[in-house]
Amino acid sequence: MLLKTTKTALLKGIDQVLSTYQVAALTKQDSRVLYNYVKTSHDIFWGCRPTVLPPKKFFFPPHETLLDYTADGQIIAKIESKPLVLFGIHPCDLRGIQILDEAFADLHGDPNYLERREKAIIIGLDCHQTCDQDSFCYKVGAHYAKTGYDIMLYPLKDDQYLVEVATDRGNVFAEQFLRAIKGEEKELEEYQQAKAKAFESLKPFKDLEKFPELFQENTHHPVWEHEGARCLSCGSCVMVCPTCYCFNVTDDWELNMRAGKRQRHWDACMLHDFTTVATGENFRPTATARLHHRINRKFNYLMKKHGQSVCVGCGRCVRACLADISPKTIAEAINGEDEKEWN
Amino acid sequence: MELALVQSNAKLYLPEPARIVKVRNFTEHEKFFQIELLRKGSLGHDPGQFVEVSILGIGEAPISIASPPDSGNRFDLCARAVGDVTKKLFTFKKNDLIYIRGPFGHGFDDKIFQRMRGKHLLFIAGGIGYFPLRSLINQVIPNAKNYKKISILYGCKTSQDRMFPDELKKIHHLSVGSNVELLETLDHPEADWTGNVGVITTLIPKIDFDPAETIAIIVGPPIMYKFVLTSLMDKHMPKENIYMSLERRMKCGVGKCGHCQMEGVYVCQKGPVFNYADVEHNEELF
Ligand SMILES: Cc1cc2nc3c(=O)[nH]c(=O)nc-3n(C[C@H](O)[C@H](O)[C@H](O)COP(=O)(O)OP(=O)(O)OC[C@H]3O[C@@H](n4cnc5c(N)ncnc54)[C@H](O)[C@@H]3O)c2cc1C
Ligand code: SF4
Ligand code: SF4
Ligand code: FES
Repeated sequence: MLLKTTKTALLKGIDQVLSTYQVAALTKQDSRVLYNYVKTSHDIFWGCRPTVLPPKKFFFPPHETLLDYTADGQIIAKIESKPLVLFGIHPCDLRGIQILDEAFADLHGDPNYLERREKAIIIGLDCHQTCDQDSFCYKVGAHYAKTGYDIMLYPLKDDQYLVEVATDRGNVFAEQFLRAIKGEEKELEEYQQAKAKAFESLKPFKDLEKFPELFQENTHHPVWEHEGARCLSCGSCVMVCPTCYCFNVTDDWELNMRAGKRQRHWDACMLHDFTTVATGENFRPTATARLHHRINRKFNYLMKKHGQSVCVGCGRCVRACLADISPKTIAEAINGEDEKEWN
Repeated sequence: MELALVQSNAKLYLPEPARIVKVRNFTEHEKFFQIELLRKGSLGHDPGQFVEVSILGIGEAPISIASPPDSGNRFDLCARAVGDVTKKLFTFKKNDLIYIRGPFGHGFDDKIFQRMRGKHLLFIAGGIGYFPLRSLINQVIPNAKNYKKISILYGCKTSQDRMFPDELKKIHHLSVGSNVELLETLDHPEADWTGNVGVITTLIPKIDFDPAETIAIIVGPPIMYKFVLTSLMDKHMPKENIYMSLERRMKCGVGKCGHCQMEGVYVCQKGPVFNYADVEHNEELF
């Protein structure tokens, strides 16, 4: 269903929905832009600026309790979830959410992630330009969102928006909270034409669809050692990535030893001991091996599984890396697009 | 993907209580625990699968199920004390409660059993590699007639490191006049040791086997695999006739936490039991 509305109507809708849902969106705090809960629609930052952390934190928080237990053996599987409207999510991050949805649902449905996700309405906001030098969404086609949203907003002139309602959940929001009129398909077509024009000179990776095979064949390409040698194994790139979801699990008693919890925490395959086992054996002992693993998850192992690049080109890892290591540089070496002599 | 259609498993991370009903010391660092589920019914595992053993306030560790499937609501675990969970487990006594999740992973399923039928089974175990193999060994020995022959090669550092010495003795006795044989070797034998001395690969030439009609099953420390595989390749053993169980760091056991990956393979899902032909090109295998 296609509707058309105004920014004023959207702001009003958000203020109304705040009575029953938490709302999270881009916000501005001092000079930083970050995803956060808002108290009123006026807290929302409408611009297009990259954030340090992606919105995955709302469904997969950096730390969360899985179990609460007592010393006498009462164990409760714990899930904290509240109805949430996630507002103004850009295409790259929508793609990230879609990948996490698939990962957490795969084989054994992760109850904590899925319950939070079930209670969320996701409202996307399309972009018609890249946000900065480090982003390369267009290289992997992630400047377009195909799914992963309940509603998509396409900005038109004069603070007007086309509203694509994609799911029943989106419809709940549109019907109850949004004053809108019918949108014209023609307007969306014109919007998409203008967007295609804006991105015309920004080409995708050469041979993107062949990346799994290319990366598999190029395990010993010199770019790995070249980039891996500079890596500090700090794990920052993993923390900020919208499609990284590995975790560690810890147990702690409270001081009185009568109750405790089992928690999970974001973990990073770039850290030295991620694969160390009790015998002291480390299956990925070098930074090069770890970088190879992380990048192959994006362009090979998981790309095969999800049928699309698992790097969404948001550029967060590039901005976070003190050693200036970028998936884009590596991909362009592997597909030969950089025409550089790496040996 | 329509999320509403996805089955969320509310109990994915929730362990169930189970009682320790028997404890046996093997060595200072290795112990045997027999566990009884508090609920009716069996664990429902295949040989080669594992459980996540939970100790509240300490954590979880993946431990192989060391008993064959049809042992009612009881099953065996054997642990080497190396860290937080396993050291705490060592202080546990009969009647204490532990918590478990599982069984997890891919073990010796019906398909593998069908492949093994009528074949010569060649078990190659190093040290506590006997723990995971025991579930399969104790499953096939009572049904030895279903197999051409069963050869068990077992290598340890010293005679103190031999796990289940009483069961090994029984297998030695059994082997007279049957199609079951057990060959042992020690790296550093005591004076009274009458068996073979040397690494486990020195036992392989002592076995008479037709590689095409033999299924080899290997479990041991990472270093052992390389040498054993080389010996078997020298004998022209087809790669698809070789199974092995791999250790990796594991946190969740259910394909989420990412720790166990070997290239793109989640060892806790596709393994720990692998056919060598399926993983020989995996660069992170050893
Ligand atoms: C499928 C499978 C089956 C297994 N079966 C058995 C079995 O039947 N019996 C058995 O005894 N074991 C088995 N293991 C091994 C067992 O799971 C580990 O020894 C166990 O997880 C250790 O847990 P822990 O809490 O006792 O030790 P931990 O406290 O986790 O650590 C043990 C040691 O590992 C090292 N270590 C831990 N974390 C790190 C880190 N981050 N960086 C560097 N070093 C670290 C430390 O040196 C520490 O002393 C199996 C493992 C797998 C994967
Ligand atoms: S790998 Fe880097 S650029 Fe790609 S999605 Fe993750 S953070 Fe963004
Ligand atoms: S952020 Fe850069 S230096 Fe840190 S682990 Fe990632 S690639 Fe290595
Ligand atoms: S142990 Fe967590 S993914 Fe395999």
